[in-house]
Amino acid sequence: MTTSGTLNKQSFWGKVFTSLGLLLLCVNGFFPLLWMILTSFKPESELIRTPLTYLPASPTIQNYLEVFRSLPFHRFLWNSAVVSISATLLCVLFAALAGYALGRLNLPGRRFILTLIVMTSMFPAIVLLVPLYRLFLGGLEVPILGSIVSFLHDVGLFFLPERIISPNLLNTYPALIIPYIALSLPIATLILTSFFQLIPKDLESAALVDGTSKVGALFRIIAPLSAPGIVTAAIIVFVNSWNEFLLAVTFNTTLSMRTVPVGITLYQGEYAFPWHVISAAITLGMIPLLVLILVFQKRIISGLAAGGVKG
Amino acid sequence: MAVVTSKPRTPPTAWQRFKSGNLSDTQLGFLLLTPALLTLALVMFYPIANVLWRSLHFERLNQPQRGTPFIGLEHFREMLWGREMTWDAVNQWPLRLLALLVIGIILWLAVKGNLKRSHAAYWTLTLLAFAFLLGFHPGEEGRWNDRRFWNSFQITWLIIIVSVSGAFLVGLPLALMANIKSRWRWLARIALLVPWVMPRVFVGIVFAWMFNSTQGVINDLLSRVGITGPLWLSREIPAIVVVNLTIIWTTSSFVALILLAGLQSIDESLLEAAHGDGANPWQRFWHIILPLLRPAIAVALIFRTLTAFQTFDIPYALTNGGPGRTLEVLGIYIQRTTSSLDLGYAAALSVMLFLMSLGVTIIYLRWIYRDD
Repeated sequence: MTTSGTLNKQSFWGKVFTSLGLLLLCVNGFFPLLWMILTSFKPESELIRTPLTYLPASPTIQNYLEVFRSLPFHRFLWNSAVVSISATLLCVLFAALAGYALGRLNLPGRRFILTLIVMTSMFPAIVLLVPLYRLFLGGLEVPILGSIVSFLHDVGLFFLPERIISPNLLNTYPALIIPYIALSLPIATLILTSFFQLIPKDLESAALVDGTSKVGALFRIIAPLSAPGIVTAAIIVFVNSWNEFLLAVTFNTTLSMRTVPVGITLYQGEYAFPWHVISAAITLGMIPLLVLILVFQKRIISGLAAGGVKG
Repeated sequence: MAVVTSKPRTPPTAWQRFKSGNLSDTQLGFLLLTPALLTLALVMFYPIANVLWRSLHFERLNQPQRGTPFIGLEHFREMLWGREMTWDAVNQWPLRLLALLVIGIILWLAVKGNLKRSHAAYWTLTLLAFAFLLGFHPGEEGRWNDRRFWNSFQITWLIIIVSVSGAFLVGLPLALMANIKSRWRWLARIALLVPWVMPRVFVGIVFAWMFNSTQGVINDLLSRVGITGPLWLSREIPAIVVVNLTIIWTTSSFVALILLAGLQSIDESLLEAAHGDGANPWQRFWHIILPLLRPAIAVALIFRTLTAFQTFDIPYALTNGGPGRTLEVLGIYIQRTTSSLDLGYAAALSVMLFLMSLGVTIIYLRWIYRDD
C-alpha cells in the first residue's frame, strides 16, 4: 500500500475505526442475503426448532429440488432471461442511437430533448399501469388509427383482422419488453450520451474523411471506444428489467409466463409459508445478479455516477 | 438587381439524401432519435395523456353494459369527499367557506400587487394548515369519503418522509465508510451493490422472514439480550417500523452509491490542506466535504423521493398491504383497483399520485435552480 498523503497515515485507533466501519458496512450489506442462503440449506424441521440454529445443522439440497418440483421455476428463469435480455439489447441499441444524436451531432434543441427524455424517468410507473393494461388488452383502443381501421372494415376495404392492428399482448413477452425498454431508456440514454461526448472529435472525423458514413462511424468507431459505457448501461438496464415486479404481476398472469420476482411470491400459499423453499428460490434468483456485480462492480458504480450526478 | 436567368437548383429532398447516405445533422439526428422517442411516446406520453382522459370517465370492465360515459370530476369528488355529499350544518362547511374566502382575498391582494408573491404563498400555506387542523380535513368522517384513499395517502406520505430521511441518515455514513482507502475496498463496494441489485420483492420476503415473530432471526437476537420482540408484522406500529426499515435498507445503499461518486470526485488536496491547517475530521466533514457533496445529495434526494411515491413491491411482499389495510400504500391501492377492473377509478387514483410527484418535482427543481 502506498501512503501518499498525511491523511493516509493512520494511527492505531484510526485503523480500528476503519475496520469497524468496514465490518459494519459488510454486515449491513450481506447479512440479509447470507441469512437467506443459510436458511435455504436447512431442512424444514430445523426451521421450527425453538433455539434458532444459525448454521444449518444438517445441510441439505432438498429445498433446491423442491423449488423446481412444486412450480415451474425453470420456466420463470427462462421468461425472465428472455424478457430482460431482449429489453436490454433493444434499449441499449435505441439509447446508443439517441445518445449519438444527442451527444455528437449538431442537433438543434438537443438539450431540450435530453431533458425531455430524462424527465420521463420521473413519471411514476404505477401511472402507466391502467393505460398500458388497456392498450395491451387489444381491441383497437388506439384513438384515431382505430376509427380509421374500423371504418375501412365497415366499407370492406380492409381485410386484416383487428387483432393484427391492436393485438391482445397480455401474457406475451412483448407486454413486458416494450415497457421495460421505455422505463430504462432515460438512464441508458443519459449514460451513453455522456460517454459518447468524451470521445475526441478527431477520431471520428478521420473516419469520415475515409468515406465512412456517420452511422458507420457510430458502429465502427464510437461504439467500440465507448464499450465500457455500453456495458454499464446494459447492466443497469438488465438489473432494472430483471427486478421489475408491478407490470409483470399485472400483465402476465398465466403460470407459464411469470417472471422470477413474480414466481417467487407464488410459493407462499394462503396460510403456509414454506420458507425453506422460498429462500432456495431467492438464492437461485440472485445468482445472475451476484455474478454481474462481482464481475462488473467498478463499471456499475461509475455508470451510476455518470447517470446520477449529471442528471 | 441581377435577374436570375438560370433555373434555381432545387436542394435534394430528404428522401434523396437518405438514399445517398448524405443526410444533414438535423435529419440524421431525428432519424436516430426516432426509435427512442417512439418508445417513449407509446409507453410514457400516451399513457399520461390517456390516464388523464380516462380518469374523467366511468369505466368498469366487469360492467361493460354501462359503457364508458363521461363523468367529469366525479371520481375525484368520490375520492376526496365521498359518494353522497350532504350539506350538513354540523360538518364545518361555514369554516371551509371562510377559509376559501380568506385564501381568495390573499390571492386577490397578490394579483393586485399589494402583497409579495412569496408572502402570499406563505400565508396561503399557513392558512391551509390551520384550516386542516380546525376541520378542513376531508378524511375525518368515514361516510364522507373514500377511506381507503385517505388511509393510503397518509401511509404513503409517512413512508416517503421517514424512509427518505432515513436513507440519507444511513446512506451518508455508508458512503463515508466505503470511501475509506483500504485493501478491502472492493468488498465495501460489493456490500453497497448487493442491496441495490436485489429485487425489491426479494428484499420484502427476506425481511419478512427475518422479522418473523417466532422463527425470525431478529426476535432471536433480541431475546438473547433479554428483550421480547413484538409480533412485528401483525401489529400496526411494528409493521410500519419494519416496512420503513426495509425500504431504508435497500435504498440507503443506492443513496450511498451516488454520494460515493460525489465523494470520489472531491479533490484530495483540499482535504490535505485543511488537515495542514489543523482542521479536525469533524470540521473537515462539515465545512469541506458536505458543501462539495451538495449536487450529489440533491440528485440522490430527487431520485429517492420520486421513487418513494411508487413504493409498491416491499409492502406487497412484506404483508401484502396488511395487517388490515395498514400498509396499503397508494401503489397497492391502484394495483388492486386495476385488478378489480375498475379502470376509471384506478386512473383517477393514478392522476392523484402523478400530481403529487409532479408537485414535489417542481418544488425540488425550483429549490435547485434558486441556488444556482
